[in-house]
Amino acid sequence: MQRPRPGAGTLYFARCIAKRQLAFRLNHDPEVIAILAYLARRLVILVLSLFVAAVVLFVLLRLLPGDPANALLGVGATDAQIAAARAQVGSDQPLPAQFVGFLGKLARFDLGESFVSKTPVLPEIGNRLSVTLPLTIGGFLLAISIAVPLGILAGVKANGRLGTTISVVSQLGIAIPVFWLGILLVAIFAVNLRIFPSGGFPLEGWRNFGTALLSLILPVVTVAIVIAASLLRYVRAATLDVLGSDYLRTARALGSGFTEALLRHGVRNGAVPVISILGIDLATSFLGAVVVEKVYALPGLGSMLLLAIGQRDYPDVQGVLFVSTLLVLVIGFAADLIQRLVDPRLRGQVHTS
Amino acid sequence: MTQFSVRGLLGALAGAALLTAAATPAVLAQDYNADATIHIGSLYEPQNLDNTAGAGQGINEAFNSNVYEALFQLTDAGSVVPQLADSFAVSDDGLTYTFKLKPGVTFHSGDKLTSADVKSSIERVTAENSKSSRKSSLKTIASVETPDDQTVVIKLSARSISLPYNLSYVWIVDHNAKDITSSEDGTGPYKLGEWRRGSALSLERFDGYWGTKPTNKEVVFSYFTDATAENNALLTGAVDIITSVQSPDSLAQFQNNPAYTVSNGQSTTKLVLAYNDRVAPFDNVKVRKAIARAINNKQLLQSIWGSYGSLIGSFVPPTDPWYEDLTGVDPYDPASAKQLLTEAGFPNGFTITLDTPNYDPHPVVAQFVQSELAKVGITVKINIITPNEWYTKIYQKHDFQVTLQEHVNHRDIVFYGNPDFYWGYNNPEVVKLIADSDKAKTTDEQTADLKKANEIISQDKASDWLYLYPQIVVASAKVSGYPVNGLNSQFFVYGIKKAQ
Amino acid sequence: MTVVAEPAPAVRRRVSSALIAGMLLVGIHVVIALLTLVWTPYDPTALAGMRLESPSLLHWAGTDRLGRDFFTAIMIGSRIALIVGIGAVAIGALIGVTLGVLAAFATRLADDALAATFDILIAFPTLLIAMLVVAATEASLWSSILALGIALSAVIARLTRILAKRVLAMDYITAARTSGASWPAIVAEHVLPNIWPTLAVNFALQFGIAIIAEASLSYLGLGAPPPNASWGSLLQEAQGTVYTAPIAAVAPGIALVSLVIGVNLLADGLRDVADPSRRRAR
Repeated sequence: MQRPRPGAGTLYFARCIAKRQLAFRLNHDPEVIAILAYLARRLVILVLSLFVAAVVLFVLLRLLPGDPANALLGVGATDAQIAAARAQVGSDQPLPAQFVGFLGKLARFDLGESFVSKTPVLPEIGNRLSVTLPLTIGGFLLAISIAVPLGILAGVKANGRLGTTISVVSQLGIAIPVFWLGILLVAIFAVNLRIFPSGGFPLEGWRNFGTALLSLILPVVTVAIVIAASLLRYVRAATLDVLGSDYLRTARALGSGFTEALLRHGVRNGAVPVISILGIDLATSFLGAVVVEKVYALPGLGSMLLLAIGQRDYPDVQGVLFVSTLLVLVIGFAADLIQRLVDPRLRGQVHTS
Repeated sequence: MTQFSVRGLLGALAGAALLTAAATPAVLAQDYNADATIHIGSLYEPQNLDNTAGAGQGINEAFNSNVYEALFQLTDAGSVVPQLADSFAVSDDGLTYTFKLKPGVTFHSGDKLTSADVKSSIERVTAENSKSSRKSSLKTIASVETPDDQTVVIKLSARSISLPYNLSYVWIVDHNAKDITSSEDGTGPYKLGEWRRGSALSLERFDGYWGTKPTNKEVVFSYFTDATAENNALLTGAVDIITSVQSPDSLAQFQNNPAYTVSNGQSTTKLVLAYNDRVAPFDNVKVRKAIARAINNKQLLQSIWGSYGSLIGSFVPPTDPWYEDLTGVDPYDPASAKQLLTEAGFPNGFTITLDTPNYDPHPVVAQFVQSELAKVGITVKINIITPNEWYTKIYQKHDFQVTLQEHVNHRDIVFYGNPDFYWGYNNPEVVKLIADSDKAKTTDEQTADLKKANEIISQDKASDWLYLYPQIVVASAKVSGYPVNGLNSQFFVYGIKKAQ
Repeated sequence: MTVVAEPAPAVRRRVSSALIAGMLLVGIHVVIALLTLVWTPYDPTALAGMRLESPSLLHWAGTDRLGRDFFTAIMIGSRIALIVGIGAVAIGALIGVTLGVLAAFATRLADDALAATFDILIAFPTLLIAMLVVAATEASLWSSILALGIALSAVIARLTRILAKRVLAMDYITAARTSGASWPAIVAEHVLPNIWPTLAVNFALQFGIAIIAEASLSYLGLGAPPPNASWGSLLQEAQGTVYTAPIAAVAPGIALVSLVIGVNLLADGLRDVADPSRRRAR
């Protein structure tokens, strides 16, 4: 039956009322206030955590054995040159002096310059992120689009052959090391079938859009398969939980179709634990993708970190870890927020766990 | 930039097949695309763009004679020829060198080459805070004068016959250039295009170049950290050349394959089992010789490199002018090794710690050495360390008994003339011979002195020189004109031709 | 389509199949690992043949680059994998459970801080923590184990904190406190025994994660050097020979996958046994 459609004037009027109601709610609704207070608290913790992380990072790095000056020198360097290199990178300064310098720079959002390449750290991180972000987010989205439907299916058909097959395949997916998967995919699709490039990222970056996209397809698929495999198990477990739950039975008893009940009630309920897993998976994949970067020769954030750690290039290491900590905290924050949006019962709580 | 369409690739492959089927080298040489882009795969990304600021061997590969030139050039065959020096004269006492610069040379920025640029370039290397590995080789330079724009006069504090050779490492940089760690201003046939760290570096043909135009328009060095990824890039045509293959196993796909050419050149990279000659038991020459005789270098070379690479009996590779085949000194002979050990006072052997860098092929070689020495009663404990720690612990502090290291430099026998070098070899006769060799009046004298020194070093077994790496360049059959020896990691790209 | 609980016999069958399959797979590897302590086809360091021989009767999996028997290397890989897994989980459990239980007692502010810390630590990929630890201690089998243990401890700590908090919120804890029991006694008698089953399942899962992480570490060049070479190192070395000697690039991978699947099945089986509420949903 067609509902009468409102005219333009009615719509305008309705919108004004909605705005006023929203403003009222924001200022007076205890639930909204609780969320805002929670947000504020989390933000403060976030900033504090970032600061603490930066300090811990600094100290830990300086405790590592190995001299950053070594990366600049070679066989044949004289003692005078070695001393000069150490003076340049500041590794001959006492620790407190180095720390003060570090804090000062941090306060100005200056992540410093690499010891080894003398270039500013932040732009280089930006360059690397332009590869890592599409790689991990793309892999992540692809993983969700594979794992969620298949996971739900595996849960619903848990007793049948389909469910078991999906479950077995996902077991395989978890057990395969990601670099092995990468090597196999490259051998088949790049070297044998020549459909995709075997690796590398174009020099011009995203300015060469087509090649850049093509270079990322196999890596994204690799990342997606690995994330999807573990995600699938969580989705399946959540689905099983939901299937056995009281509210679902109640909904069915009250006359809803199975799919309708599942989607309307099950997804919302089952999503909460899955969302926190998603958050963790996404956050770990920024640096965890270093293995994929190595297989496909991609200039990403993880590779920058690996090289910098080996060379004891402290500014680079600090910069990357700082930025990735920031990303991690932001994603954790976002995941928390989404959980609360999805599940009203959580809105009053401080922790979802 | 190559397009990755399947049809395009198939077309290119078909074209290559046709060409290689019909081609002789002469045909390829004339029938090339003068505006081609050459893609080169390498494992050695430079750390920055300044070879006096610790840029690493990758910068020699990308920039020497491509972007920057010097007064002299070390050619791929190992000889030293004038490059920016039009002519030079040496005074009779060998202490004054007068260079006349080539006229009409411009930098990439447009400035003309003058003697002021040469002076500032040399002083960059000899400066107090220079991290150039060549600094000590120029220590005899007392002053650099510039009587006029085209003349440079270098005054030495002592004779140095290898001055032209040492000057070939000094890039001539525009004296107006500010910071060359991330930019460049040289006189070479290419300008720096773009550098994306972790990915690639491109060179573009410089139209104002004073010399012969390069036979290609653009060269892109793609950097890999993984040799397999690099090989795959060559297999799929993403790169045209791989500069230095590190494992013979991957060669199987390229050998006997008409689409590729495998070149086996002479490298200068030697794998050395370096004893700490200062400490027991390595201060005893008999022990050093015994260990050398106990290790089957031939089998080791075959295990690592198959049919490639070569054995050396000393630190001097065949491309150095004073090379001699000394593999006959202390050949593989375990029985004689055991006897020498007994003579030295160790009938039951001893235990030593072998500090080994953690990257290929050192750990594998260390295990081989361990199992070989076990057969003559010597127990070897392997201690794996990072290059960073090697540099501090062994190179600076000399805190080791024996270690493995690959030495890539050209003409580096002089290290044995320095008693403070990390291996601590101190033979006054050798020190004198090496010091005298530089003061020689002719290169023949120099060669004779160094040959003599080398023979002594070899007999003394100051170190055990396990083998010489091959220099393997694998290229698509469509390209030619690339260097095959890669001395000192140089890779001249201006002569590379790509077929149409 | 029915949604309600299955009849009991079907449940028992499904529970045991995962558990049995898991125990079988893991058992094979344990047997092989124990065997290597007393016998291997060849001495792992002996150069017994020509380099890169194909599989033959003499060398069941061929030889590696130096001519050492590859089957021996794969067998020893089992031992290394089990050592790494057990070691990493042990360290992770020790640190993680302790920290988690302590965190469960924390007051609100400290609790927030600790929760945030755990979250940050968890979000740092295992590999990254491992990289830093290895950089600090030089690559060796023990540095890998330590690195992985530290990385796992964050996840374990987080889980322990959640579980312990749930237990601490129960009425009988309050009752125990009122009757004068000390906190350590309560932890020992009530908290740990209650959280143990779920933790055990988690440990089994972390075991598999540790093994795979170690393989990735070896691929990056940070893993234990030979003779303690793990399957990951073998795979990394074999990359160059993928087209000429494919066995070297496939066999260690199959071994690794089989052990990890076995461990995961074991974890699933344990979970079915330990967590009765799950049965209903099957």
